[in-house]
Amino acid sequence: MAALTATRLVFDAAATLAIVFASVMVIHRHPVKSVLALVVSFFALSIAYVLLSAPLIAAVQVIVYAGAILVLFLFVLMLLNVPEEARHGSGRPIHRILSAAAILVFAVFLLSLLRSHGATASPAVGASAGGGADVAAAARLLFSEHLLSFEALSVLLLAALVGAFALARPETQR
Amino acid sequence: MTATDWLITAVRVLAPVLAIMLILPIPMWLERRGAGLIQDRPGPNRVGPFGLLQPLADAVKFFMKEDLIPANTDRLLFVIAPGIALFSALTTFAVIPYGPAVTVGGREIPLVGADVSIGILYLFALTSLSVYGIVLAGWSSNNKFSLIGGIRSGAQIISYELAMTTAAAGVILAAGSFRLTDVVAMQTGTWLGFIPRWNVFPQFLGFAVFYVATFAETNRLPFDLPEAEAELVGGYHTEYSAFKFAMFFMAEYVNMIVASALTVTLFFGGWSLPWYEPHGIGGVIVSALAFFAKTAFFVWVFIWVRWTLPRFRYDQLMRLGWKALLPVALLNLLWVAFLVVKRWLP
Repeated sequence: MAALTATRLVFDAAATLAIVFASVMVIHRHPVKSVLALVVSFFALSIAYVLLSAPLIAAVQVIVYAGAILVLFLFVLMLLNVPEEARHGSGRPIHRILSAAAILVFAVFLLSLLRSHGATASPAVGASAGGGADVAAAARLLFSEHLLSFEALSVLLLAALVGAFALARPETQR
Repeated sequence: MTATDWLITAVRVLAPVLAIMLILPIPMWLERRGAGLIQDRPGPNRVGPFGLLQPLADAVKFFMKEDLIPANTDRLLFVIAPGIALFSALTTFAVIPYGPAVTVGGREIPLVGADVSIGILYLFALTSLSVYGIVLAGWSSNNKFSLIGGIRSGAQIISYELAMTTAAAGVILAAGSFRLTDVVAMQTGTWLGFIPRWNVFPQFLGFAVFYVATFAETNRLPFDLPEAEAELVGGYHTEYSAFKFAMFFMAEYVNMIVASALTVTLFFGGWSLPWYEPHGIGGVIVSALAFFAKTAFFVWVFIWVRWTLPRFRYDQLMRLGWKALLPVALLNLLWVAFLVVKRWLP
């Protein structure tokens, strides 16, 4: 029981960290700092995944998102030397109050929705992808039931790659 | 979990980290002494016998120096960056097994920090985070040379990570598991009674790619372009002084040790010895020493290569990574898949 509460404590801390840094990512005006906040948020998320006994997803989260994609984001931002954003919009207090209220209402809706529907997602998928022999189970699912979507995704990524190459090619070579 | 369990876990996790921190001065001394040997000069020889206390003197110097943070830097990131570098280097050792399971008072204790089912993935996840330490150091310094060093390092690590993971995938395929204890277990024993069942023999190409890639991952010569002193002053750590510089310095050596230990675990049987079946405490000590000796050899190769080969040009580095190492790693993966399908590999 003691271990259980300790796990719960770590999970809550990780979840809080993820939410706080996700907010920092949105609010911060410096793009590089925003990316870094997102890195921390993803890292905290992966801790939460580990505690939900889905270590494979946790590792993939860190390797793919924090380790590869966000590094590329950081690259582009550093190379372009993007400056801090200036604050746009009117500084009138009524606008701030209204936008804060809108966020609050949205959060309440989202929470109530999650409370009523969140627990109905079938636990079997999570268990087969996360528990015990997780890697083998996930691989089996990926290469049997979800094979078509898996392959379709890789074709989609390839198409994006070719498209990016075609767009970025110098004009003279066409 | 009882208090004893907690204690055992703590010792299991902390032992390798403390061991690394304790022996860290030795590769530093070896680097300078080895450089002297290779360049036909004495190397450090004033502090203690054979200059053995030189790393201690260096440490004292790092503590005493003024810790300078230049103006116009991003102070928070400037301070955090060396911490990230050292943290990601030290935590990677948690999943590398350093000995067989030992039975103490009826409990079986595996000699590995955490025997998690995603061992290798955990390792790659943390190494991919280590790039942040260097990139942030380069960017927050607000210095052209630092920035170029940081960006070079990021591009280099991401490129070589691809070849490195593909090469490691061959081992994962052969072992059928991400767990590093399983990887070691499959390499015990011999083929035909005299060839050790080490992965390096059936997967020599994989080993070659993996080992070359570790040099790029640790920013060591011939791939140390992020800190190429001839072009970039000091690269990403140009603006760092005193203990923050020492942290980058330590991270580099810890990374070297971890990379060597990982090479040994994946391709050279980890702690296992081909003709030796460990029994009791003596077996544990012999196995741990075998692991240490194998790792020490590869650390020495790191130093040996550094003082033997010149630095690559950046385009050569990228061409090697993408056009040579990655295809060879894929070829190795196909070869291992063939072996596994034919059931010639376990």
